[in-house]
Amino acid sequence: MDDYKFLFKVVLVGNAGVGKTCLVRRFTQGLFPPGQGATIGVDFMIKTVEVGNEKVKLQIWDTAGQERFRSITQSYYRSAHALILVYDISCQPTFDCLPDWLREIEEYASSKVLRVLVGNKIDRDDREIPTQVGEEFAERHNMYFLETSAKESDNVERLFMQIAEDLMKQARMTNVPRYDPNNYNVDPASQDSGCCSRLN
Amino acid sequence: MSEAALADSTSYADIERQCQEELKKLKVDEDTLLADLNAMLNQRTYIEDKIKGLSRLIPTLKVMKHEAEELVSTINGISESSEKISSKIRQLDSARGHVDECLVRVNDLIDLEICSQGVQQAILDLDYEKGAAHVHRFLSMDQSLLKKTANDMNNMSNMLKSVRTLQEAAAQLRAIVAHKFNEAVESEDLGSVERFFKVFPLLGMHEEGIKNFCTFLRTKVALTADKNLKSAISTSLTDKRYAIVYADTLTLLFEGLARVIDTHQPLLETYYGPGRLLSAVSILQQECDKQVKRVVQEWSKTRQIQKKIQQISEHSRITSSASGSKLEKSDPKDLDILIGEISLMHFRCELYIKFIERKALADMEIGISEAEQKNKLSKVLEQLILNSELSQSKHELLSHYLRLEQYFMEESVAKAVNIDTVELSFQTSSMVDDTFFIVRKCIRRSISTGSLDGICVTINNACRVLENDYCDVLKARLKQGYPSGYLDLTQAYNVLQNSIQQGRLQPGDTEQSRTAFIVALNNADSSTEYITALVDSIIKEIEGACPNMNSKERGKLESCLSGISAVSARLAEVIEYGIQQLKSTAIKPRINPWMDTFLNFSHQLTEDELSAYEAGESFVQTLIMNLETLLSSFRDILTSNNYDHFIKVLTLEVTQRFEKVVMKTQFNRLGGLVLDKEVRSLAGYITSGTYWSARDQFARLTQIATILNFDQIEEINDYWGNADDAITWRLTPTEVKTVLNLRSDFRSEDIKRLRL
Ligand SMILES: Nc1nc2c(ncn2[C@@H]2O[C@H](COP(=O)(O)OP(=O)(O)OP(=O)(O)O)[C@@H](O)[C@H]2O)c(=O)[nH]1
Ligand SMILES: [Mg+2]
Repeated sequence: MDDYKFLFKVVLVGNAGVGKTCLVRRFTQGLFPPGQGATIGVDFMIKTVEVGNEKVKLQIWDTAGQERFRSITQSYYRSAHALILVYDISCQPTFDCLPDWLREIEEYASSKVLRVLVGNKIDRDDREIPTQVGEEFAERHNMYFLETSAKESDNVERLFMQIAEDLMKQARMTNVPRYDPNNYNVDPASQDSGCCSRLN
Repeated sequence: MSEAALADSTSYADIERQCQEELKKLKVDEDTLLADLNAMLNQRTYIEDKIKGLSRLIPTLKVMKHEAEELVSTINGISESSEKISSKIRQLDSARGHVDECLVRVNDLIDLEICSQGVQQAILDLDYEKGAAHVHRFLSMDQSLLKKTANDMNNMSNMLKSVRTLQEAAAQLRAIVAHKFNEAVESEDLGSVERFFKVFPLLGMHEEGIKNFCTFLRTKVALTADKNLKSAISTSLTDKRYAIVYADTLTLLFEGLARVIDTHQPLLETYYGPGRLLSAVSILQQECDKQVKRVVQEWSKTRQIQKKIQQISEHSRITSSASGSKLEKSDPKDLDILIGEISLMHFRCELYIKFIERKALADMEIGISEAEQKNKLSKVLEQLILNSELSQSKHELLSHYLRLEQYFMEESVAKAVNIDTVELSFQTSSMVDDTFFIVRKCIRRSISTGSLDGICVTINNACRVLENDYCDVLKARLKQGYPSGYLDLTQAYNVLQNSIQQGRLQPGDTEQSRTAFIVALNNADSSTEYITALVDSIIKEIEGACPNMNSKERGKLESCLSGISAVSARLAEVIEYGIQQLKSTAIKPRINPWMDTFLNFSHQLTEDELSAYEAGESFVQTLIMNLETLLSSFRDILTSNNYDHFIKVLTLEVTQRFEKVVMKTQFNRLGGLVLDKEVRSLAGYITSGTYWSARDQFARLTQIATILNFDQIEEINDYWGNADDAITWRLTPTEVKTVLNLRSDFRSEDIKRLRL
């Protein structure tokens, strides 16, 4: 059996086509899939990482951005330890939808969930959202912020590793989610989200 | 000296004997040599003979050598000529190749001639099969070879003419067949439709043939679908299939399509070859998409789906913003039937998609050999399904299903809680049974949709409803507290006063509140068992419904199922909370005064006082009697788990308080004896009423009593450290000394002196 001590659920949300699936595949498989089709429903991937000699299992839920899958994807917010909200820096509408996504997170996710705002596709030269605008939005809504490129593998590893480290820090403080094979759901509500170190 | 002389004389004799022996040996050698010489002399003539014979052989050998040389040169000659032969054979081979090619060309030429003559006659005779067969023969010729032949021939005009004739005939036939096919379609002449369908591939019109034929099949499907939809729309409310009439319509559509595919696949395979089913399926899919969309639209209109979904989301918005306004709200019971219909519709879509996937893939497997091409086609199939209206409709249905199912589950559980009733003689109330019935029903229904995503989401939703809505209700009821009726007057007054001020309690409903509390606690306990049973049964059902889950799907499902154990954890928390409530209102306020009466009894007794004490109502008898009254009031109303839990908490309270009062009392030897007896009978009483032993909980108290029951201080040494009777002490050395100090007859200097 796996010998990890911590299990965290990370859920990616955001408009269709912003690159959620590409981010996940870059992180879990180290590749940028050509012609990535839209996600249907919700996809599930696992990657075990090491944080300070401890094995941490990340359960990554890659949700579909298309509206018609909303009733599926929403049901995964509640048990998430971390939520990654992604927009496309070269596509203003994906940024404009962020408040809607936040409303949804507010309604369905635990109030203690770790929230990260990610501006993806920084390799593109038709940027529409300046870094600072994203940064300010994140700050205003008490989120971490990071800009990435799934294509060029910029900041992708960092994004997930920072989340793992942060969740681990929280877990250590409350020492709740020790892995128990009979009960491996970690209650996100029992977690402290006190630490506020920024991701960059 | 004499010794040396003796030695000398011996040595002479020795030497003489040795010389004799040497001589004898030489003689024997001489004899042998003589004999050898004689033998040699005897052989001489023989050897001379041999030499003579050999010298006669020499000329013969010379002849042989000459002959051998001749042989070698002959062999060389043969090898050279065989080289020559094999190169000739090679030449012959290639010549034969040419001959074969020539034969083909000649055959082609002959056939070309025959075909070009035959095809026109066939067209004139309206024998399109024959004409097409000629064209087919023509098309099967290597066109580049034909060109080459034409260049090689002197008299090429004839041949070119034939080619042209055939090309023209082919074009003509193609036009005719296409036209005739359309005519047949228009006149609904099924025989002719099939006839010309078989001609297309002969003319190299595979794709056109499939397209035309499937387009024809589409019209048939459309016709039936139209009729079915009309009859669905006009189904009367009283019809017993009214509630699922659209699911039935979809079923008819899919079954019809499946039948079309099944019956025409052999035809296609025979005349067009395997590996072409995907083309057929793609065309039929267009009709499928069109019809599915119509059915779903009609269904959506008739069942007022948009309105219902909107009501639901408004309802959830309003309840989440906690405004009290009453909204027109769908009765979950009415939705129940609709949800059943959607899940059935979804399942039908799922089944049909699986069907065409299976069919097309199997056909590719047989018909296409190159892996690359196969890969490409299976991607085409994947995209065909992914982008089909059928898939979109399926996703839409699932989305509706999940919204309605979630609402249904939430509302029904809320209703179960609202109409919660306790039946006499039941430890739990109706909400437990009802809630788990609903949750189970919803999850089972999600399994019947055939969608793993649907199952996972419904499990997620069930976890949320149970962990939040349901457990919150139980906890809220426990929060009301358990009003105790046995308080002394001032305590009772204070408790009641507080409760009334906080609006928690009406002065007359103590009994009701108590029952409500106990039932809530029991509900939480029995819910834990319901959960275990629920997980067991749904896992089995899911395995049955989705037998071929891959590891990723399994991981997804397991992760969602693990959410259920969070519900169990939350229930355990609720139970613990309730028991703590009971402890503070039902246990502590009663136990404490009972235990405190211990202080009213002197434990410094004379022999006479001891007999009098034992004859009368002793402390422990009264205590046990009181405890029995208390416990018996809970024994039958609590579930056995809760009752056990209750006794554990009670025992802890009793022993701790007992310890406290003992620490406030002075003992003499007889007083210690009495205490020891009292502790034993109390421990005995409590253990008798439980499944577990209370001995451990009594350990400290028992040890205190043992100490107080010593004859002499030094007895402690029998039990301490490495002594034979040493025990595992629950008391620290300081505590032991404090206890010893309770004995008025032990001197504190002696106690101080003890080394522990
Ligand atoms: N240039 C660039 N393109 C990207 C990057 N990440 C993703 N893309 C492209 O964006 C498109 C959509 O990517 P996906 O990962 O499928 O988007 P998604 O957010 O998963 O979309 P849904 O599953 O529909 O919600 C694809 O064509 C990717 O190639 C990136 O970092 N840089
Ligand atoms: Mg995706």
